[in-house]
Amino acid sequence: MTGKGQEPEIVQGRSHIWRAEIIRDIQAKAELGRYQIRGFSTFQKFPSLDELVFLPAAMTRLPLEGYRELCVSETTIGGGRPDLVSQPLELAIPVYLTSMSFGALGTNAKMALGMGFSRAGSATCTGEGGMLEEERDASTRLIYQMTPSRYGLDLEHLRKADAIEIVVGQGAKPGTGGMLLGMKVSEKVAGMRTLPVGVDQRSAVRHPDFLGADDLQVKIMELREATDYRTPIILKLPACRVREDVKIAAKTGCDAIVVDGTEGSTAAAPEFQLDHTGIPTLAAIPAARRALEEIGMYGKVTLIVSGGIRNGVDAAKALALGADCVAIGTAALVALGCNAPRFVEDYHALGTEPGACHHCHTGRCPVGITTQDPELEARLDPEEGAERVRNFLTAMVMEMTVIAKSCGKGNVHNLEPEDLRAVSLEASALTGVPLAGVDWAVGPETFGRGG
Amino acid sequence: MAAIAGITYLSDTRVEVDVDVVERLNRELRRLNDEGVTEVVMRNPRSRHNLAVGQGAGLKIVFDGSCGYYCGGLNNGAVIEVARNVGWGTGEAMASGSISVGGSAALGTGAGMRGGLIHVKGDCGPRTGAAMKGGTLIVEGSVGYLAGFMTHAGDLIVLGNAGEALGDSLWEGRIYVAGEIRGLGNDANVVEPDDDDSARVHALLRAQGIDGEFPFKKIVAGQKLWYFDNRNPEAWLKI
Ligand SMILES: Cc1cc2nc3c(=O)[nH]c(=O)nc-3n(C[C@H](O)[C@H](O)[C@H](O)COP(=O)(O)O)c2cc1C
Ligand code: SF4
Repeated sequence: MTGKGQEPEIVQGRSHIWRAEIIRDIQAKAELGRYQIRGFSTFQKFPSLDELVFLPAAMTRLPLEGYRELCVSETTIGGGRPDLVSQPLELAIPVYLTSMSFGALGTNAKMALGMGFSRAGSATCTGEGGMLEEERDASTRLIYQMTPSRYGLDLEHLRKADAIEIVVGQGAKPGTGGMLLGMKVSEKVAGMRTLPVGVDQRSAVRHPDFLGADDLQVKIMELREATDYRTPIILKLPACRVREDVKIAAKTGCDAIVVDGTEGSTAAAPEFQLDHTGIPTLAAIPAARRALEEIGMYGKVTLIVSGGIRNGVDAAKALALGADCVAIGTAALVALGCNAPRFVEDYHALGTEPGACHHCHTGRCPVGITTQDPELEARLDPEEGAERVRNFLTAMVMEMTVIAKSCGKGNVHNLEPEDLRAVSLEASALTGVPLAGVDWAVGPETFGRGG
Repeated sequence: MAAIAGITYLSDTRVEVDVDVVERLNRELRRLNDEGVTEVVMRNPRSRHNLAVGQGAGLKIVFDGSCGYYCGGLNNGAVIEVARNVGWGTGEAMASGSISVGGSAALGTGAGMRGGLIHVKGDCGPRTGAAMKGGTLIVEGSVGYLAGFMTHAGDLIVLGNAGEALGDSLWEGRIYVAGEIRGLGNDANVVEPDDDDSARVHALLRAQGIDGEFPFKKIVAGQKLWYFDNRNPEAWLKI
């Protein structure tokens, strides 16, 4: 799709090889002379967390009163090294806002998300474009993201941050840098990134001052020295060779690791990368957990998981598989109004409909979230948006705690692989979680049976 | 004030610090700066990493040997002098102040720096001034490959030679090389600096005590990679 919406549609023929979408794709490439770029998530169907179910308590154990008894949801990021981190990031809930740049998002969206997550007792992350003053004011807990391009990197911002995240990559487009097309490189965005206004910005993927894990270890100590050993340092990895990558990441001495599955969204990426690179979140979580267990770091380095987490049930499954915390992007944007049936004619102008929009890359977001256009941005009231986000987070955590209690747990962090069964061969093979009923796992490593 | 092992007061404002002895050294330097100390002489740096990181204005820090990685990283106004060599990432993300290096520097000198001055009397390794966003980086010797990679702004001035892939994917940074250029990066073009430009660069050098006339070539972006369209398919095919 070119996203313009003017071309007459072509029909689906009988070939499964030359499907309508494939033909359209070739036609677009022939016209554009480049690959296709878009926002949102992969369009592939991967084995997902939906293929796991919980086994709540019945005769073998006792549930807690789902609607009455307390269930702890507090979460600490970077609490494993008090000698190196004097102020770990304390969250009321095991969900925070993933890194989404100012530039990809507009100011109002940043403010709304900052207020919404703060009201839920959680944190947001700056993303690639530097620290936006409005977000710092709105977020009681703000994670500063340091990317290879080092846009707006400022000692004072590092010191104002409540955690620092160093990007190795992201699930939507592993092995490549950020992308922000010219429509969104406004004066304010360009100023913060020291870029010419209106350029199609494609960021670096390799950091300019370290190359491998040994150098990164020194870099992490530099950041600690600069910020007086206060904040946790997080490494964000795309889910690729998770078992190895996570071990190497832990060796750098970071306090937390984000593993971002291939379902992770983006504001702009080459479509073939969205659809064909990285591994699904479902497979990545057990691999990350095993990696940390194998080097004796599970529970010491905080494991954060993102990529396609849509609700409290997904989050609870992620925790049961081994995550300490999840980060969400798209779900929060949808709560804010992404794909809402408002300004429908503007979706049509992009060649799409509410519910099917993936046009963040165009900067013409009909609901004023992923845009720098003041007229479109005015459609998003930060206060109203913040309340929707807070409501969504409340609902999400209610889902998590109700599930945990039904499994007999008074703390969401006590969910464990034993609480899960797989309902597909794929899910069992990818995770090692036993198949429902037969209690037998596909593959070499059974996960969770017997604790 | 209680004596701290490894810190010797030469006067109210001058202090000697033994890098071998003092722990959490950068915190100590910041404390000394707050206390009104204006000059610190650092003994026994022994190429340790992360020395003089995140320091503020009002303090001069003089190393009597070599430093390791990220010396003067995130500098916010301090004047730093290193008698001998430095490792990777010297002055990375520096906002203001200055760093002068008597010997040579390794990879990523001035990476992402936003302001201030770095002056290296010897050579620099690869990726010198990569992602630089402002300030001045003077190298009296030569620079390695990928110098000025994706440099956004500021002046990278090289009196010696430049390695492969100079100025690759340049934004609006200004690169000047007096010696030979082994190879240009993607989308980097060589132009003759005009008289005003040349005078400005020579003035920057004179301010550092470097006299003489240098036959600079200036490297600028061809801007073919600035816009993601098919105006220049040849440029895109290779990358
Ligand atoms: C609008 C938008 C902007 C993003 N910007 C960044 C960014 O600046 N840096 C980064 O590491 N990831 C960025 N991402 C990726 C997210 O941090 C995260 O990996 C992904 O959204 C998580 O998956 P989810 O959206 O399914 O929750 C962005 C994603 C979106 C949707
Ligand atoms: S509605 Fe806006 S935020 Fe949502 S997919 Fe479309 S452009 Fe992106």
